[in-house]
Amino acid sequence: MADEDDKRNSRVPAVSGAPPKLGRRDLLMGLSTVPALGLFGYAWNRQQQYRRGREAAAAATPAAAAGLQEINVALLGAGAQGQVLMEAMLRIPGLRFRAVCDIWTEYNLRRVVNTLKRFKQEPNGYADYREMLDKEKELDAVIVATPDFWHARHATDALKAGKHVYCEKEMSNTLEGARSMVLAQRETGKLLQIGHQRRSNPRYIHCYQKLLGEAKLLGRIVTVNGQWNRAVAPDLGAPDRYAIPEATLKQYGFKDMHQFRNWRWYKGLGGGPIVDLGSHQIDIYNWFLGAPPSGVMASGGLLYYDPKTHEWHDTVMVMYDYDTPVGPAKAYYQTQTTNGSQGYYESFMGDQGTLLISESELNYAGQLYRDPNAPAWDEWIQKGYVSAPKEQEAKEQTGSGAIADVRESVAPDQHTVPVSLRDPYHQPHLQNFFDTIRGKATLNCPAEIGYESAVSVLKVNEAIEAKSRLSFKPEDFKV
Amino acid sequence: MMQATTFERAPMIAITALRVLVGWHFLYEGLAKLTAPSWTAAGYLKQAKGPLAESFRWLATRPDMLATADLMTMWGLTIVGACLILGLFTRLASLAGIGFILLFYLAAPPLIGYFYAIPSEGSYLIVNKNLVEAAALVVILLTGSGRFAGLDRIVHGLISRRPRLAAA
Amino acid sequence: MRADAPDLDGGIGIAEPRERGDLWRFSHEAMHTVFEVYASHPDERYAAQAAQAAFALVDRLEGDLSRFRSNSDITRVNQLTAGESARVGEAALECLLIARHLYDVTDGAFDVAIGTGLPSLEIDADDFLIRATAGGVRVDLGGIGKGYAVDLMAELLEEWGVERAFVHGGFSSAVALETPAACDGWPLTLSDPREPSRVFSRLSMRQTALSASGVRKGDHILDPRTRTPVRGRLAAWVALPRPGTAASGHEGFRLAPAAVADGLTTAFMLLGVDRIAALCARSPGLEAWILPDGVSACAADLLHFNGRATPGDDDGGRGRQAK
Repeated sequence: MADEDDKRNSRVPAVSGAPPKLGRRDLLMGLSTVPALGLFGYAWNRQQQYRRGREAAAAATPAAAAGLQEINVALLGAGAQGQVLMEAMLRIPGLRFRAVCDIWTEYNLRRVVNTLKRFKQEPNGYADYREMLDKEKELDAVIVATPDFWHARHATDALKAGKHVYCEKEMSNTLEGARSMVLAQRETGKLLQIGHQRRSNPRYIHCYQKLLGEAKLLGRIVTVNGQWNRAVAPDLGAPDRYAIPEATLKQYGFKDMHQFRNWRWYKGLGGGPIVDLGSHQIDIYNWFLGAPPSGVMASGGLLYYDPKTHEWHDTVMVMYDYDTPVGPAKAYYQTQTTNGSQGYYESFMGDQGTLLISESELNYAGQLYRDPNAPAWDEWIQKGYVSAPKEQEAKEQTGSGAIADVRESVAPDQHTVPVSLRDPYHQPHLQNFFDTIRGKATLNCPAEIGYESAVSVLKVNEAIEAKSRLSFKPEDFKV
Repeated sequence: MMQATTFERAPMIAITALRVLVGWHFLYEGLAKLTAPSWTAAGYLKQAKGPLAESFRWLATRPDMLATADLMTMWGLTIVGACLILGLFTRLASLAGIGFILLFYLAAPPLIGYFYAIPSEGSYLIVNKNLVEAAALVVILLTGSGRFAGLDRIVHGLISRRPRLAAA
Repeated sequence: MRADAPDLDGGIGIAEPRERGDLWRFSHEAMHTVFEVYASHPDERYAAQAAQAAFALVDRLEGDLSRFRSNSDITRVNQLTAGESARVGEAALECLLIARHLYDVTDGAFDVAIGTGLPSLEIDADDFLIRATAGGVRVDLGGIGKGYAVDLMAELLEEWGVERAFVHGGFSSAVALETPAACDGWPLTLSDPREPSRVFSRLSMRQTALSASGVRKGDHILDPRTRTPVRGRLAAWVALPRPGTAASGHEGFRLAPAAVADGLTTAFMLLGVDRIAALCARSPGLEAWILPDGVSACAADLLHFNGRATPGDDDGGRGRQAK
């Protein structure tokens, strides 16, 4: 523009050495877009505030509002169960994953660390748990999900390193191992929760506290029945390309890759299905009956699978005697791994009613049957402890006024447990563990209780060998 | 050295507005990455398509080079954006901006045959928003809007005080 | 998508493979249907273990995605009231991202919330959070859950080195991986969902996801956009090529072709022919077959779209068909 050129030309000094002045117009035009930067800054600020507000709202769970202190967690054992626990923990606020340890570095360890990174966690990966305990300075708790024969070492070392421990069930594959864990817990004063997750399941807690404890709906429980049926499954394998070197396997007590994947079936490593599966339910027997067993008889065998790769029994039937506070009871338990029909459940049969429950709400929603001779449950229905009964069809009378056939009893009213679990199965139990660390709760399955269950369960394999009834003494359950 | 603008005032104001908008966009993209926790181009690189896809993917696998690329991208976008808004070193900033956009464009060119089969929003045929923005920067590059309404005007004024530089 | 009847399984068939010493077949019940793995591998035991691992994966996915499980991610999402949010896992998040994307692309014809307000769910992919801005949203991933499971099963099999395989769920979501040796493709058929023996078309496929949707005679589908029952087509099929191993999805989430194909077949039961043609035209590689209603339902009535401008005859240009 002519104006501009003139102005510029006029800035060239006629005499060298005299600096020209920048015109006012130049300064104005030069700074004209600077306010845009200011506007940007303002908009940016507003957006950051909005975003921070949103994050605060999203994170404002009751726990966060109470000024939740972050708990630093390490996962020791990143296999199938470790991953289940991790999934549950990802839904618990206030946790920070500091480390993951697994000897299968190429597969499970890498997969779990990558998953945690996607959830904005930054754990360090380890193959050696001792190295992890040494190097991780900011660790509050260790979650142990390694094979049973490692539980004692891992849990006691972690406790002695000053960490609280959540240890998967079974507590250990040996009594000595389990005992050492109780002693280590006492010695260190740290928390040790054993992973019998039904002890924190709101449905089970409702049954124990309200239905059995308060309402005594079942009357006196005289017999218990339970089972875990699982269909035939081939042995677990592993992707060829991720095989673990033999030397590493042997260092950690595994003969080969197959044994590493199927440790549950091997003596000295696991206890077979009765320990894997029965552990959970027999623990519930003890809990609901209010006493550990006084005797056990069991029969089992390897009826189906290949003895070369299966050392434990694939089919087990157990009978327990109980001296409960309200009288003697017998409990029956079955586990088999050749047929999955009717899945898994526990059934508590009292003189006034029956409770049929399973961790799997889908298959067994928690059914309660009132014996016709029992007093009405109206009060408990009104309190919301049980649902109203489903309509039952009345039995027809035969003939004219003839007495109904006495061989058939009238179908009992069916009620359901009106409590649902909305979270992954292990979440309440882990939450209970972390709440206890924060001083807001007490453990639902501390080491001593876990020990009672371990004793009850480990005795079964012994009873199978003995082929006779074994007794428990009360001291057996104490450490 | 480029001649100062000889365009009419109105188009220059429009181009300046264009410059500020593009600069704003760059600045936001850069700052968003700088303030996001550990932003990395890795995901973006891994899903690169087109003729340079291999190179982009390879870059994503080299952590040291990736870190450098991430840093250059985050800071580059921010600085280019700020410079464009302020009209400072406009031509340099425009060139750099064009460079960035071309890289982004080449990483996911909307060309038939490269576009993955899953249908998505909008249909682009060779020309997408990246290309349009790059073209905008070319206009900004060629019209010296920073010298018209931007700090470049002041800088140029200061430099042109010295006779020997003004003569260049 | 249908009001109450379960999704009709079927629509895809596999021609009986010739006797091969190294082709194994494994089945597993899950998600109200039967999943199967056909694997070509010299070691049957290894293939069985790989298949078993894949089935265990499906079971885990069902636990996360099924609205019939009281503690699944989706059930928790369905319980959200306005303003609440729920943390979900990777599977639920990826499925919801795919569902949302398809909802946008098909203008609501594919709607996992069946008209109860999918757009009111905010998906925060960074934090794995689903935020409900309104209550009452009821999501049912039945429309893409099987496809997603099949995609993940395929990835797992590849991880195990069982690359020559064909996986399907209920014969309505399928993925063909690599072919058995000396075969150009897995011999698949598009068959009448109501009568599997009636074959409309034969295809030879590899590295492709294939999905089918169909209705029983006289049944109606619920159009999620209007929430009224409509007579849809008789059947729709969609094929998508599997992305190469280097490609990953938007923002690091996986492109799950069978899940996307599942959603598209559901949408294609409702969308107009021109809309389907347009979608196929701008997505090279996307192939669709439609069996319109009101016809005698034989092979000649099959409409085929394969990314070219015009719908037309069966010998679409991809060269993947064998008559």
